[in-house]
Amino acid sequence: MNWLNDNVNVLALLGAAAILILSVGVSLKYINQMKTDKSSGELANDNWDGIGEYKNPLPIGWALSFLGTIIWGLWYFLVGYPLNSYSQIGEYNEEVNSYNTRFESKFSNPDNATLMGMGEGVFLVQCAPCHGVTGDGMNGKAANLSKWGNEDAAVATILKGAKGSGYPLIEMPAGLLDANGAKAVVAYMFKEVSGVKNTKHPELVEAGRELWATCASCHGEDGKGMGGSAPDLSAYGTAKFVVNVLGTGKKGFIGNMPQFNDGRLTNVQKLAVGTYVNSLAK
Amino acid sequence: MFHWLERNPFFFAVGVFLVVAYAGVVTILPDFMESARPVAGTKPYTVLELAGRQIYIKDSCNACHSQLVRPFKSETDRYGMYSLSGEYAYDRPFLWGSKRTGPDLMRVGNYRTSDWHEYHMAKPTDVVPGSIMPAYKHMFSNNADIETAYAEAYTVKTVFNVPYDKPDMPKLGTFDQAKKEAFDAAAVIVADMKSTEVKEAFKRGEIKEIVALIAYLNSLK
Repeated sequence: MNWLNDNVNVLALLGAAAILILSVGVSLKYINQMKTDKSSGELANDNWDGIGEYKNPLPIGWALSFLGTIIWGLWYFLVGYPLNSYSQIGEYNEEVNSYNTRFESKFSNPDNATLMGMGEGVFLVQCAPCHGVTGDGMNGKAANLSKWGNEDAAVATILKGAKGSGYPLIEMPAGLLDANGAKAVVAYMFKEVSGVKNTKHPELVEAGRELWATCASCHGEDGKGMGGSAPDLSAYGTAKFVVNVLGTGKKGFIGNMPQFNDGRLTNVQKLAVGTYVNSLAK
Repeated sequence: MFHWLERNPFFFAVGVFLVVAYAGVVTILPDFMESARPVAGTKPYTVLELAGRQIYIKDSCNACHSQLVRPFKSETDRYGMYSLSGEYAYDRPFLWGSKRTGPDLMRVGNYRTSDWHEYHMAKPTDVVPGSIMPAYKHMFSNNADIETAYAEAYTVKTVFNVPYDKPDMPKLGTFDQAKKEAFDAAAVIVADMKSTEVKEAFKRGEIKEIVALIAYLNSLK
């Protein structure tokens, strides 16, 4: 447990210890005094149901702290609070900003296990309501993520077409290539363009290279999507591709996925979700 | 020194009131005008959204769902930006709710879509395993009440000067114009939906409650 790293916890513990020690000391002092002390002095005129009050002068320490509190109170009433433009929301924002800065620096170079853990957490809150707890898309209500981001999925996308990611080139029509052509071009794309740099069908790479022009007219010769006109295929199969989808959202054939760009997810969290989603792909 | 005050409880009470009221003056007044105004970008509800809002109230969604994201990190992580008072300027009444049996819905339009709401309202456990929310199947067969929604919009426009028909604000116009607007907006949602029952009813010129409710939920941002 690292809870001693938290200043508030440390302060609370120190305070508790101080209160305990002071209480014991002060109680003992007065209990002993009560055994021997006799009261004496002149009584004030006021009398509250038989309880009187001595006309003793106020002890100097009490008097000073009483005056000090009054002065501080006036200062706080007239200057301290109103002129320092304090706001709870402002303090909240500052705390969140400093937390976010710590979060960013703590996870500036996350390892894969960290990303997977964080990604699973975010996935269960933000993605599972549509894609299901296991990412299976719940009988076609959303994309089945176990069949996503691999070569078969890319072939299926080419055959069925794709739309609704908000890129300027709008829609990829179905049937640009036949089944064999799609398989070949995907093999080339996976080996040479994508982030995977590997294919299950290395024998088809050369055939795919010749068909690549079909894809290049929109995705660019290098597959990077011609400066945002179409999805960046060089990220295909990596967490970054998922991050791109989170940014664009998708209104495809299955349904509508909202954009995740309203600040709910930090960049690290998006990367974590990407890593986790990629791990779901079989 | 203060014996006089102790013998005069009335003036003592006046003194206490002044001290306490001063705190209110300092904390509330400086920001009051600002925070009571609509936040930039806040718009009144369209007629279709109002119809959905009336269904939301009728079916007591607010008994289990709040519409108020508090400034806590755990809430803003899950639901988005915390709520500002000016965002409720056109809510009559506001639907903050006081209990979260289900999640907050203040910004549900940011992260759920028409088709998700359709699945969810028909059978919540289909999309959220373990959900205790009841199904709202009757919303797929009952018609939304566009007339009453128009009446509400017209009333708040006339009585409270809600800025319908102003530049960049939702159009209201006459009932026929408003009805056409509502049908145009409903067409977009119906196109996103799967239910043939709802689609066929829409072709017959009926807007089902579910369509209006989805329009309302999508408007919560």
